[in-house]
Amino acid sequence: MPEHTLEFGKFGARGVRGSEAVFRRLDDLAGFIVSPVDSRRGLLARLHYLTRTDHARAAARAAGLTVTDRTLKAWLDGRRRPTAQNLRRIEDAYRTVRRHNVAQHLLRRLNSRGGTRVELHPLNQSQVPRPRQRVLEYRSLNIRRWDRIVEAWSTGDTEGLDDAWTDQIVDLGSQWGQYEYVTNVGFAA
Amino acid sequence: MTVPHSDDPNSNDLRPNDPHPDSPRMNSPQQKPGYEAVDALLASAVEPEPLPPAEQRRALRESLGLSRAQVATALGVGPSTVGGWENGRDPAGEVRGKYAYFLDAARSRLQETQAAQTRPCVLCGGPATDEVEGFPQHLDPQECARHTTPQDPVRPEPEPRSEPELQPEPEAEAGPEPQPKPQPKTKPAPQPQRRTIQRPTPVRKQLTGQAAPEAELIGRAVEKALAEHGGDVEAATAQLVRKAIPDAMALLDACRTGGRYDVIAHPWVPDILRKQSARGSDSIWEARPKWTRPELPPGAHEVTALDINGAYLSALKTHLPIGQLEHSSGFEHDRRRAGVHLITPPDWHHDPYLPNPLGNRDEAGPLWVTEPTLRLLLRLSGPKYGLCAPPEIHESFTSGATENLLEKFRAALRDARERAIEAEDETTVEYVKAMYSKFVSTMGESNYNRELYRPDWMHLIRSQAFANLWMKALRAHEQGLAVVRVMGTDELHVTGDWRRVFDEGRGVLEVKVKDVYTVGTDADAAEAELNEELPDA
Repeated sequence: MPEHTLEFGKFGARGVRGSEAVFRRLDDLAGFIVSPVDSRRGLLARLHYLTRTDHARAAARAAGLTVTDRTLKAWLDGRRRPTAQNLRRIEDAYRTVRRHNVAQHLLRRLNSRGGTRVELHPLNQSQVPRPRQRVLEYRSLNIRRWDRIVEAWSTGDTEGLDDAWTDQIVDLGSQWGQYEYVTNVGFAA
Repeated sequence: MTVPHSDDPNSNDLRPNDPHPDSPRMNSPQQKPGYEAVDALLASAVEPEPLPPAEQRRALRESLGLSRAQVATALGVGPSTVGGWENGRDPAGEVRGKYAYFLDAARSRLQETQAAQTRPCVLCGGPATDEVEGFPQHLDPQECARHTTPQDPVRPEPEPRSEPELQPEPEAEAGPEPQPKPQPKTKPAPQPQRRTIQRPTPVRKQLTGQAAPEAELIGRAVEKALAEHGGDVEAATAQLVRKAIPDAMALLDACRTGGRYDVIAHPWVPDILRKQSARGSDSIWEARPKWTRPELPPGAHEVTALDINGAYLSALKTHLPIGQLEHSSGFEHDRRRAGVHLITPPDWHHDPYLPNPLGNRDEAGPLWVTEPTLRLLLRLSGPKYGLCAPPEIHESFTSGATENLLEKFRAALRDARERAIEAEDETTVEYVKAMYSKFVSTMGESNYNRELYRPDWMHLIRSQAFANLWMKALRAHEQGLAVVRVMGTDELHVTGDWRRVFDEGRGVLEVKVKDVYTVGTDADAAEAELNEELPDA
């Protein structure tokens, strides 16, 4: 599509890709455990979340936490500490499982009552030379169907999310390419 | 084109370059062929309609409870034009006739209502329209004399057509100068010219005779809750308070229909407005007052603890940034923008009798303050007050601002509250209170209200409440009361006769007495007592 931005930031514009902002916002709404994984409290909270039921254990294994039950038990009892690599795996598995668990409820809330209104805050041009600055307005649009976006987010599929998001912002009109990169995307659920 | 204001336009020297200064001015056209057009113009210029003097025009309009905007719409001019007319300028042309007609009608209406409200004066027995502490009486001894003089039983009716100078009307605002009281009064201080504020009914309400649709939202919710609980007031109130946040957001949406600005709910927020941790706070100083007078003069003092009604409700009217905050650095303050500012506050030398407008801050040095605090400091540093040096602004995060963003929302809540107080409907009062207080406290990064992420608004509204309280303290101080304590959002402790400064009641413009206590028995113990006896609120 010709509206796509090439070489973003060449003239000093600052911002993030819209789909990335959506990913972050959905993460905010999902509400992860705040304590970091390398603290004892954060580690135990994540391990408890991943080992509470057999279903959760299976999901954790599917999400990449392929350690034996014996190791998990040792971690939970505090007899051993996970290595740095395993801590990363625990964190990734926790996020994946949590996203998957929350996705269904989040989707229902986002799709209810005729969809959700999304605010698009334009990219920051304060460092762009004056002749190259463009008039960019704050825009908002209503997204009725969030299924593809939420699905891509819950599986961690950033490219799929980017495609799904681009399909939505095309509704902004011929200027949609200006909103491929933004400072913030805001919506509530 | 300007119409000559003088009574006789012919006497004006309209031809400064008269080639024949000796000749009589108004010659026949055949004698001076070049002047027909001028003569025709002079003939067409009708004598301007006489208007009452400027200081009476405003009183006449306000006596009918009309706003400038309403009058301006009816006359087809701007509200500031009407304001100009009320401050001494004179309208010209066609609109002058309309304005004169309006003032004339307003005067006759006022006289009708005054005649209906007239009661015999307790001093002379003549008809009086004013009341002092419940006793109808004339405010001016001359009026009493006029009523007792037999040859002039009726006040001469002013003739607006013949003379522009009118007799001063015994209106609510009798004049700027304090009038001597004919009766000995116990109060030593002159009665300040305070009027009970009567808010004009909005045009829409006058037209339809019913509440605005957004106000009905509140009434309907209360009715529904009461019906659900079979009239159990406590259960219904509890349910309404639980639903207050989503209901407030629905009300806000309803109030924004047709609004000029969008409510931007999820802008990018600078780091200074982000909480450092889940339970922590951000870097904004809201200037919450917490001040106790260090010492009182010796002797016992009766202190009244006053409570400002609906402080956060009133504070919803503040300059709120509309869009995303943008960074700027510099010393200039732009009145069209609002946000948060990094300032070096000025020194404060009035601590023995007035609190620091910044609240009691322990650390010195620059700090991030909000728009209301900055405006308060700028105002106090101005020529009118001159209480401190101007603050030094280093950098700012601001956006274009408006005071009207939440104005309709505030008016809907205020009207609902007033109606509920009149009807003694405590359920609605509680519900409204929960709505505005929870709206303010959850509009930041709260999980209880995800529809609105405006920590900047939350800080600004809180600071506005504190600034409002501070200005009330200043008013009390200027009117001769001793301010003893200023605390939190709505607590003001004063000594002296506070009733001549504040109205007592439950309205948002009135104050409520929370407590009355005595401080200090003798000179030595005064300070110690003050610190001990003040209840911790």
